[in-house]
Amino acid sequence: MIRRFAIALALVVPPSSVALAADEDDGLRLFRERIEPVLKTECFGCHSGAAKELKGGLRLDSRQAARRGGETGAAVVPGKPAQSLIVQALRHEGGYEMPPDKPKLADSVVADFVKWIELGAPDPRDQAAPLAETWPNQAREHWAFLPIKAPTIGRGSGSAGASPSRAIDTFIVEKLSQRGWELSPAASRTELIRRLAFDLIGLPPTPEEIADFAAATEPDAYERLVDRLMASPLFGQKQAQHWLDVVRYAETEGYEYDRHVPDAWRYRDYTIDAFNRDKPFDRFVREQIAGDELDPGDPECLTATVFHRLGPVRRNAGNPDIALSRNEVLTERTDIIGTAILGLTVGCARCHNHKLEPISQRDYYRLQAYLAATDEHNVSLAPPDEQAAWDAETRRIKDQMEAIKKVARTKTGEERVKMQEMIDALEETLPLPLATIPSTWNDFSARTPIHVLRRGIWESKLDAVGPRPPSVLVSAELPELAADVSNPRTQLADWLTDSKNPLVARVIVNRLWQQHFGTGIVKTANDFGLRGERPSHPELLDHLAASLVENDWSLKTIHRRIVSSSTYRQSSSFRTPHSALRTSSDPDNRLLWRFNRRRLSAEELRDAMLAASGRLNLQAGGPSVMTPVDPELVNLLYKPSQWQVPQAAAQQDRRSVFLIAKRNLRLPFMEAFDGPALLTSCARRESSTHAPQALELLNGAISNELAGAFAERVAGTLRVPSAANGTRSVPTTLIIQRAFLLALGRHPTPRELAASVDFLKDGPLEEFCLALFNLNDFAHVP
Amino acid sequence: MHPTTHFRPTRNRREFIRDAFCGFGGLALASLVHEEQLRAGTANPLAPKPPHAAPKARSVIFLFMAGGPSHLETFDPKPLLNELSGQPRPAEFGEAKYQFIQRDAKLLGTQRKFQKYGQAGLDVSDLFPHTAKCVDRLAIIRSCHGDMVVHSAAQYELFSGRVTPGFPSMGSWILYGLGTESDSLPAYVVLPDPKGALEAGQPMYMHGFLPAVYQPTMFRPGERPVLNLSLPAGSDARQRQKTVKLIRDLNEATLAPDDTEFAARINAYDLAFKMQSEAPQILDLSGETQETLDLYGVGHETTHDYGRRCLLARKLVEQGVRFVCVVAGGGPGNMQWDAHSDIEENHLRKAAETDQPVAALLTDLARRGLLESTLVLWGGEFGRSPEAESGKGRDHHNLGFTMWLAGGGIRGGQAVGATDAIGLKAIEKPYHFRDIHTTILHQLGLDQHRLTYPHLGRDERLTFVEGRVIEEIV
Repeated sequence: MIRRFAIALALVVPPSSVALAADEDDGLRLFRERIEPVLKTECFGCHSGAAKELKGGLRLDSRQAARRGGETGAAVVPGKPAQSLIVQALRHEGGYEMPPDKPKLADSVVADFVKWIELGAPDPRDQAAPLAETWPNQAREHWAFLPIKAPTIGRGSGSAGASPSRAIDTFIVEKLSQRGWELSPAASRTELIRRLAFDLIGLPPTPEEIADFAAATEPDAYERLVDRLMASPLFGQKQAQHWLDVVRYAETEGYEYDRHVPDAWRYRDYTIDAFNRDKPFDRFVREQIAGDELDPGDPECLTATVFHRLGPVRRNAGNPDIALSRNEVLTERTDIIGTAILGLTVGCARCHNHKLEPISQRDYYRLQAYLAATDEHNVSLAPPDEQAAWDAETRRIKDQMEAIKKVARTKTGEERVKMQEMIDALEETLPLPLATIPSTWNDFSARTPIHVLRRGIWESKLDAVGPRPPSVLVSAELPELAADVSNPRTQLADWLTDSKNPLVARVIVNRLWQQHFGTGIVKTANDFGLRGERPSHPELLDHLAASLVENDWSLKTIHRRIVSSSTYRQSSSFRTPHSALRTSSDPDNRLLWRFNRRRLSAEELRDAMLAASGRLNLQAGGPSVMTPVDPELVNLLYKPSQWQVPQAAAQQDRRSVFLIAKRNLRLPFMEAFDGPALLTSCARRESSTHAPQALELLNGAISNELAGAFAERVAGTLRVPSAANGTRSVPTTLIIQRAFLLALGRHPTPRELAASVDFLKDGPLEEFCLALFNLNDFAHVP
Repeated sequence: MHPTTHFRPTRNRREFIRDAFCGFGGLALASLVHEEQLRAGTANPLAPKPPHAAPKARSVIFLFMAGGPSHLETFDPKPLLNELSGQPRPAEFGEAKYQFIQRDAKLLGTQRKFQKYGQAGLDVSDLFPHTAKCVDRLAIIRSCHGDMVVHSAAQYELFSGRVTPGFPSMGSWILYGLGTESDSLPAYVVLPDPKGALEAGQPMYMHGFLPAVYQPTMFRPGERPVLNLSLPAGSDARQRQKTVKLIRDLNEATLAPDDTEFAARINAYDLAFKMQSEAPQILDLSGETQETLDLYGVGHETTHDYGRRCLLARKLVEQGVRFVCVVAGGGPGNMQWDAHSDIEENHLRKAAETDQPVAALLTDLARRGLLESTLVLWGGEFGRSPEAESGKGRDHHNLGFTMWLAGGGIRGGQAVGATDAIGLKAIEKPYHFRDIHTTILHQLGLDQHRLTYPHLGRDERLTFVEGRVIEEIV
């Protein structure tokens, strides 16, 4: 193996931090006047983003790319012309002759390159350029930046006046028919009720509900079922989880201390409630972005602003680095607005003009400028006297701690360790936090002046900027707001939720579509930019987005239309006649010629075991629950005392959405089944398959305990009282059928029944129930 | 050779084959093998994958000295520091930001004695008499530097190249790039210090935005290190075997012939069962000879714990485990190398716990022929300040410190780079964490630019901007 590339790579020396300014100035002038023109005329044809075919993997149109070089090594090695492949190539040395098939360039040109590299090869091309106030039309015409256009429906199919759900089918069927395909046959009622129940409320249907639906004769039985499920308070508990994933909801700050944000769960309940009450989505966004400005006296609005508190926060002891920490917080808060609400990865522009998206560095910091005054503000919900007592007690203990700390600093060794233990013990006696909303407000006296930062480094300040939306989405003439505008986030929210904003409605309806079909119309749900994937059905996406705005931003309306469509009601079976052919032609099923079966999420899987075993505790809302985990995991916390398992056993059986989301201790069960990492936005859950999942379900504490409860339930419901001696046994087949219905929502096939009967001849019922929890059909929605 | 990208694990056979061909174009034979496995329904995202170039190393063991061991007391002697002890830092050395100590802090000389060892005549202090004997195997990098001076952020950077949590650790990246050669053991293992947690917590070892299949397995202390690998208490192994068979029978009863996704899930159960039956024997140390146990210091109070975990690390790489992290230090700062109040007391203790096991691991790997293919990395998230903290301690220090590499094709018996005369800043051949990462990837045959994963619109990689291979040592 030839390893030339490795040798060259190692010679790239970072620019010295003490590079002489004069050299750099000379070098920059040289670059602008003599180097860049040559690169453009002689090299870019094969070595730039504009090349028809990139040669040798080498690009010379950015500083970084030139230094990295291509397949054979670094083209430019600052300070070392002899080792710079570009010089060798220009000199026709070392086996390269560039430009190819042309005479050598003039010696003076080569000398310019040598001189420039000797001066450290300063290259301004990735610095913050005062660029991109206006974007080329091409960028502005990217599909996602264009206004939402409600398409005309039903061309040629004579379905004018058709129901809204038919409209969805029209778009899907039209694309299918271009290939001569059609929708798959409808799924069975047994499948449909299971699918609907998991999709809408995140839980399996009961055997009674299944029987009722199967026997229902009303023509609108399906619609009634949809309405019933969407009216259930369980609906919001299921729908909230996806939004919590997207905003990387967690209740602790991560990093060293992983401090618990006081009562962060209020945001989770706020979200559940919003989905249950079908809060208009524009209102939902406005409250999260600017609730404290809109109505500072309203607890609901304040709770919404916990949104800005959800990112990881680094805190440390010792010398404070206030400006750096502030910069980190602002970065988190800016990036999540881009990702979660706009579907744009603005974060790349923090350090440089986004190479592939029309978001400039200046745009990025203008977006950040809306948050310049935003700060943490914990609002106590306790009565004033209770609050005063709490404050006094907290101050008393903290003063004591501080006093010991002072002495401890002068001590060493054993003595110091002892004193630290005293401090830690005192800390444990701090009173528990009172009811609080960990909200935000504007602290204008401490407003951070926002500058464009060179390479995103907070010390390298360039121009000061004020709030303004990204240039590519507004008119080029739109001025920045004053940096000290009195309601900055309201202004941001106004722009986001303006019906003319092309992104916000598209992004959220795509998330809803993804919830039901597994993949969005735009596959990259967090990225609608130039690098994101294009929509599979652009007109359908716009139809849904326009419908959302027309219907007062009602998400339930969109959910209802989607699940009422024939597209949604198709079978997911692999056994349809055309399955093999269509799989090979459209393996991802982007055209939706059948329904996409999906694996249950980690939360659904745990909830489904709780439901089947009859142990599910449906208590809603309130402080999050910590469940027992391996003591070794707790021991890995910086403060193991943060993990407090409640005494009441029934609390362990709450729905998963009410379990704690702690950054430094994710529940092993959630980890195994692709739960979110809780650190960055999770646009879509992965659905991986690996052996530790099997080990978790076979040997783990949760499945084994619940299999026992499930067995008791199955046996118990079938115990028929008899006059003589308590109970009499029931036929094994009845037990098996009952267990199948509870766990899988269907009867066993004859082959399944035979295998089950055989197993239960001498096998314990608990083991049979555990086996059901492990089946493919248990873990998947049909 | 065309630049290629690694792809996310795929869901179905067709995707898998497409990725196999695009990802490793030209390696048709390997793809055919994959296809055979796929026919058998074994699409496994952890299946071994060919590297980008011929590899020198197959596995990595990271001896993580948590808390930040002092370079000044170990591998980087500074006579001038002793001369200047008690004085303020002369201005010509420049500025440094510390987490705790102030600008008026005074320099602190070391009480350790250095001596030259090995054919190369490299300086090692008397803290490490055992490691010193292996010095001809070590490539000592005296010019390491990082960007952060607080534990949590520095630990994230050491593991993931980024100073914030949420990015994949090097172990996860390597597993993603190469898969695993062991199907009865977890492929990426962390052996934490039972004394407690570290500042950056679990996210430091995690897979970040990579799929969950690349997450680490955290071993627990004691006889049953892997969660869920043994049957729950009270269950009967023979009965459980029948239960596993029932699961397979029922799953197969409804399996459609084209359904590769369900076939893969059935296969995961077979694999799980194999792990369950084979792993406990592999993890059992009782088969080791007394001589080996003595070599690692197993059974001696001071060295027992770290020795046991180093020995386990050897057994793991012997079985094809890809990445093992053996953590030295946990819990309160002084239980790590975090010697704020008394560098002597802390480092004498930590060195006594780890020196013999570390040397034993190198020796044992070498005599089994495993060192050639196992890259060993030693070091912490930073070094320690030339200035004193609280009289005789040292603060954190990220501007210049020492790590070493050995095995896996690394050329030992040399020291690379240098800090200035008081050990404040790396001034000669400075190497960043990302250069260490690049070098490790390089030895494994992985190219930092090709080991990428799409995340939020970018093709992310371990080395963030770009790292350099430390050419002197490969």
